[in-house]
Amino acid sequence: MLPRSLLVALVLQVTWASQAAADERATIARLKSHDAQQIESALGDVRVSGRAGLAAAPTIVELLRRGLPQALTQAAIETLGDTESEASSEVVAWYAHDRSPALRRSSVAALAKTKGSAATKALRAALSDSDSQVRGLAASGLGRLRAKETVGDLLRALDHNVPEAAASIGALCTPRDCEKLAKKLESLPFDVVTGGLSEVLLRPPGDVDDDTKLAIVSRLRAMATGEVSRFLHSVQSRYPAGGSPRVKRAIDDAVASSFSSPPPGSPETSP
Amino acid sequence: MKTRVKARTYAAATATTLIACASGQVRLNQLSTDWQDDGGLSIGKVWAQTSTATVPASADVVIGIAGAGDRIVALSLATGHKWTFTHPLAARPVVAGPLVVASGGGETFALDASDGHLVWKTPTGALALVGAGDDAVVTVATLRQPGTNSSVLLAIARSGEVLERVETDKGLGIPAVFGHKAFVPWAGQYVSVLDLASGEEQARVTLRRQTGRAWTEGGSLWFGELGFTRFDEHIHEASAGRASSTDLPARELPGGPKLMPRGAVSLPTFANAQDRVRLYARPVATSSGAALSDGRWYATYFRLAMGFDALGAKLAWVRLHDADVLGAAAGSGGVVLCDERGNVTSLDAKSGRLLSKASLGEAIVACVVNVDNYHFADAPESAEPLAEQLEAALSAADPQLAAVQRMLLQELAPMPEASATQALLELASDSRTPPDLRKDARAALAKRTNGASELMAALGRHYDYLNDVLVPPPVGPIAQALGRMKELAAAPLLAAHLLDPETPLDDLAQVADGLVTLAGPSEAPALRQFFGMYRANAEPAELVAAVVSAGQTLRALHDKLGTEEVNIAAGDPMTMPDIREALAPVSPP
Repeated sequence: MLPRSLLVALVLQVTWASQAAADERATIARLKSHDAQQIESALGDVRVSGRAGLAAAPTIVELLRRGLPQALTQAAIETLGDTESEASSEVVAWYAHDRSPALRRSSVAALAKTKGSAATKALRAALSDSDSQVRGLAASGLGRLRAKETVGDLLRALDHNVPEAAASIGALCTPRDCEKLAKKLESLPFDVVTGGLSEVLLRPPGDVDDDTKLAIVSRLRAMATGEVSRFLHSVQSRYPAGGSPRVKRAIDDAVASSFSSPPPGSPETSP
Repeated sequence: MKTRVKARTYAAATATTLIACASGQVRLNQLSTDWQDDGGLSIGKVWAQTSTATVPASADVVIGIAGAGDRIVALSLATGHKWTFTHPLAARPVVAGPLVVASGGGETFALDASDGHLVWKTPTGALALVGAGDDAVVTVATLRQPGTNSSVLLAIARSGEVLERVETDKGLGIPAVFGHKAFVPWAGQYVSVLDLASGEEQARVTLRRQTGRAWTEGGSLWFGELGFTRFDEHIHEASAGRASSTDLPARELPGGPKLMPRGAVSLPTFANAQDRVRLYARPVATSSGAALSDGRWYATYFRLAMGFDALGAKLAWVRLHDADVLGAAAGSGGVVLCDERGNVTSLDAKSGRLLSKASLGEAIVACVVNVDNYHFADAPESAEPLAEQLEAALSAADPQLAAVQRMLLQELAPMPEASATQALLELASDSRTPPDLRKDARAALAKRTNGASELMAALGRHYDYLNDVLVPPPVGPIAQALGRMKELAAAPLLAAHLLDPETPLDDLAQVADGLVTLAGPSEAPALRQFFGMYRANAEPAELVAAVVSAGQTLRALHDKLGTEEVNIAAGDPMTMPDIREALAPVSPP
């Protein structure tokens, strides 16, 4: 015989589950109502429940497939993003080609959460969007999706003034691509490139070899500027405990050797 | 009335009929407008007297004016010799027989066209040269007092001695000298024949068309300004309009170019727009009277030179130059042009091919080209097709050429060549194309009935930021053309553009309309996607029209899913009202 407390907990759980199921059914019914206000409130409910609203995702997908007014479309896309429903990526990706830049931005941002090959494909295409925000979101999204096969596109995007691509490249690059990124110190703004290089330096040892990281530190050290000093100091402070000791030592040496440079936060030069 | 030793002065006041001269002779009605037409009798006699005389050739030479308009730089086409002569210039120099005649600095002077040496000069005060003729013995020049209507005619010997001086209030045109007589056009319709030995006006002919110029060319004497009248056995019938003559066929050209500048005025030392936009042709004597040499006439429009068929006025060729053409002359077999960079080019009459190229050596501000006996080099056998020539001319990103490019585009539009399609595509796609020209190119593309492969290749291109494709192809006109051609293979390409947010709104409805004709079951998913994305979301009228077309196409395809979605949308209050109304099920009667 079950203890009374366990029985109560079981009853409560069943009650909550049945209540949740009832709420879910009601939410889905409101989504199917053809009434804009009801749909809007139902989307709000699903969004609040995040991944728990996954059951409503197919209905929202169907709504997007059949079409909604713009404000509801945007809400539906964002809601699907919050549910992280991979099955919704295909329809969410439709709106990465919408004539409205606002919807394209919402779609691209959501795809970074819904994931899957459809999402990767749409984000890759969105790197060529006419809207700079869409391009930036797509570049960041590809990093988030860990879409290593898109590093070539991200490098081109970086050359085409998509600075958000740097961090994604840094997170995904092979040693060869990491070297390409580091070489862009010669042609692109320092802050843009180091946004990616910091990612490389902080990646786990098994992900990027020490030699690649040491080459980056060496390249930076050769520049011998105040901004390099500040950057390496910042990396040093965030360097993971389990990181490579060799790389750690190289960073420490580089920071120490730049003692003549102004300390972080101080002006670049003094008269 | 002015008199000079050995010079006769004719004050040609309209009412004056008797004029006394230094020599004591009395002349009747010299250059008078109350002259009675003698029915061609006197000019017929002059023809009879001169018919066996050889018409002198004039120099083949290019005269550029350089510097501040005070330096002549010349190139003899016969020898290739270049020479320069610095002297103030009051008007543009002219070529008269073997001489280059000019005025300025208080004198009129003549240079040997072959080497630039001074042949004669005579003081003429502020008079500016209008024109001159020369028979290798005597030069006859007409000059004008700037700001007045009065003209002065001088007959000048090689020594510089003025043999004859005539002052008149009539506007004298450009004279020719032949058979010891001066042929002097005046008042825009007469040519008086002055005997150089006696100073008598021996004859006069009334021409039925504007005539301000007389000149020798190709062994004949010609009168004209708007066209060409030949001095031959029919000249006595000129007043009845039966002289041997030839004209350029009528054709509207941008800028309203003239065949010749007005004969009775001095031309400025700096070329103007009329010099840059001109017509040229060479008359030739034929057994039936006169015709245009090589069956061609030519036009320049700033940097463009064009050759036209003499019969139908059809464009035969077009050639783009690096700089504005300031002067040209048609010869037998081609045309010689000079541009403001001082480049001298000769082009083949038939094909427009470059035959030779030379340089005056420096930039110029005006140019006079004279071609009489010049022998053009043989043209290469293969010529660039006209479609490609047009493509080159149309691709010039030069706002100054916009008007003539619109005309050239009308020439290109009906051409069946693939390159014509390609040229139209590029014009319609290039953001640098002037708006009017782009509009014309789009209209021409929409009417194409061939070139489907080029059109479909263009459809394969989409806006692509990373690949620097920043302008989408002109998908609207392409869709119209391919729809008319029933090119089913274009359907998936059009469907892709329907879904492309960079497809311009203006083109979207045409793309959707094209799919009405071309779409098959394979396009149903794209049509459903488009319909779904915009049926509740279409604000601009173009988007509404495209959504309606997509819905109708889905129904026409009997696409089950699509038809169901369209029917549901037709009854859904969230669907845009115009779309709902357009897609409402038709009630049975």
